[in-house]
Amino acid sequence: MTLARRLLCASCFPKSAAIIHMALLAAIPVQLWAQRSGEAPVAPASAIGPATTASTISVLGLASSVEGATQRSEIWMGATQSLGKLGRVRFSTIGHGDFQPRNAVAANSAVEGMMALRARARVGGAHIWSAVGYGYVNVKGGLSGTGLGLSPALGTGFDGAHVDTTVSQRVDVGAIQRAEAGVMSRVSAVEFSVGFSVERVSRVTTQTLTINESNGLPPVQMPMTGKLATTRSTRSLQRRDIATGIASMGFHTGPTTWLVSMTSPVATWVTSDALAAKPRIAPTIASVAIVQPVTGWLSLVGAAATNSASVGSTALRDDLGSGKVKRFAPVVAFGIRFAGLPGRRDDTPGGILSFETRTIGSVDSAAVDVAHSNVDAAATLERDTLRVVLFVDAPKAESVELMGDATQWLVTQMTRTRNGQWRTELKLAPGVHRITVRADGGKWMAPPSLPLGNDDYGSPVGMIVVKGRR
Amino acid sequence: MIAGSLVGLALAGQLLSIASGMLPQPMRDTVRNGIEAQRSSEQQAQFDAARFDSVTALSLRSYLDAAIEQGIPTAPLINRALEGSARKKSGAEIMRAVRLFGAALAQAMAALGPGTPVAELEAGASALRAGVDEKSLAAIRAVRPAGAAIIPLMVLTDIKQRGVPIVTAIDAVTAIARMPTSDEALNGLRETVAKNAVRGPGMAVDALTRYLKSTASGSKPASAPAALDRKPIRPPSP
Repeated sequence: MTLARRLLCASCFPKSAAIIHMALLAAIPVQLWAQRSGEAPVAPASAIGPATTASTISVLGLASSVEGATQRSEIWMGATQSLGKLGRVRFSTIGHGDFQPRNAVAANSAVEGMMALRARARVGGAHIWSAVGYGYVNVKGGLSGTGLGLSPALGTGFDGAHVDTTVSQRVDVGAIQRAEAGVMSRVSAVEFSVGFSVERVSRVTTQTLTINESNGLPPVQMPMTGKLATTRSTRSLQRRDIATGIASMGFHTGPTTWLVSMTSPVATWVTSDALAAKPRIAPTIASVAIVQPVTGWLSLVGAAATNSASVGSTALRDDLGSGKVKRFAPVVAFGIRFAGLPGRRDDTPGGILSFETRTIGSVDSAAVDVAHSNVDAAATLERDTLRVVLFVDAPKAESVELMGDATQWLVTQMTRTRNGQWRTELKLAPGVHRITVRADGGKWMAPPSLPLGNDDYGSPVGMIVVKGRR
Repeated sequence: MIAGSLVGLALAGQLLSIASGMLPQPMRDTVRNGIEAQRSSEQQAQFDAARFDSVTALSLRSYLDAAIEQGIPTAPLINRALEGSARKKSGAEIMRAVRLFGAALAQAMAALGPGTPVAELEAGASALRAGVDEKSLAAIRAVRPAGAAIIPLMVLTDIKQRGVPIVTAIDAVTAIARMPTSDEALNGLRETVAKNAVRGPGMAVDALTRYLKSTASGSKPASAPAALDRKPIRPPSP
């Protein structure tokens, strides 16, 4: 998966109220907060990995060190959008584009665009996801007055001692087709994902060769052409299939979302004609992405990866330069993400049907007389803090989160039980406890059946009372 | 550090006991009040400044210090601030919510009187923030002693937010709160109002009135929504 996709994923924090959809590009959303997703739920790091159904638009600037010595920069934009649900499967789409202006590597410009359709469903306690995508890439290269001539992508066919051949212009046009699938599971507040992607890149390379026949020799007027230099155009076709393994880990620290991922090529098959450029094999790449919410609709996004081969135009750019592939050629990115924009549909499945609590004991003493009580019924205890299990009935939800006074207003991921309920255990001291829940990363709501508290921030909360010693 | 302070408090308490017979009464009161004030300060909740930007954290710290001086419990205020942070509100919005709730806590302290537990103060402040007035809180206090008014206050807040007029709500809650073991009846009132409020405030009031009558008469409260008790009206046949 490309860094851009990872960033997008990271930028796809859940926003709606019911479940965290995985969606388009890359993925992040969950939390040591998992809890947001905030912004909770992280998604796997595959190309189309784990995103959310949140509607987001991200803009990132990327700077990378390619070929070790030179630098390049790119502008990357991406958007995610939920498409709804069909049966148990949630669909979303991811689109992103990448523009690389002229740089010192001799590429005049490069553009890449890709669209992907992603599906996600829950199977038991895990989520499976799959995605298909199609992309277009165009990379224009040339001498560009930099003095760094491109190495020809083909054998010159001339005597190297007497003929100097350089590429004065090169255009790569390619199509990318990608399919991927994976499974994601949550352990405590950390979401782990493993996946596999297969990508086919078909590339047509058109090169204009300049042949200096004098090659340092005394100028000799060629009888045939009367020129010292000639140009030729060649066109070659290459098809490359790449199988990549993907592993990621997402979590939250407070409102901040983290996604750590690793991609590694498993196998590569190349089919080329004789004149095609030699492909490079992408190295194993480790990356980290961070999403830091600033307001409800604006987040800062930062990321870094160990190799820039994961950044835009991946299919074509890798063999443009003349240097060797380095395993460590870092890339960093910073940008912003917008979410919840006006006019964009807020996918809030809801689905929370009921809420109840069961008191299972006290923290400080064994003499607890309350074995079972409803949430709205005050539990009368002789001793102080109670251990209370909270249940949310949301059989259609893919994730349910809770936060409140008892969690220091940190999002807590509830655990799905076999009967379709969601469960979490809290320690409640005597007093009034406000609490709010949401499903699938949607809107926070007061748990059904609980008394409503005042909503100072425009979002209702429910209240639980634990009575202490009188 | 906290442990050290607690040890210090314990030693001070011992010294106070030892010296209780040696100091004049005004001086003993002064020392006791000082120790109580420090103990109260130690019991005030701490907040995680890292959850806020530096300006908000500073403002919040200053406000909490002022609240402590006035004897206002800080735990509910910190919870409001943390809630704002979790909801990604701006520092200004957070401070506004905290200040409003702090003012409501002060009003609740005045209305509910001395000796009111923190939980009850918080319930009272929530009621005030939901639109209940101080007279209503005093009315609740009149029928329930300190520490026994949480459920009535919560029910009052809930049904007020579901559209029941405050006068009707306070009459119903105080009427039921006078009854023995009335917490269950109050919860029943809340559930009845909540069930019918989805059909509109009028239905909620209707359900409240019927529930109150049935509860006062000792009969089983009507559980069915009011709308279902009425037969549909059909137009006359031509």
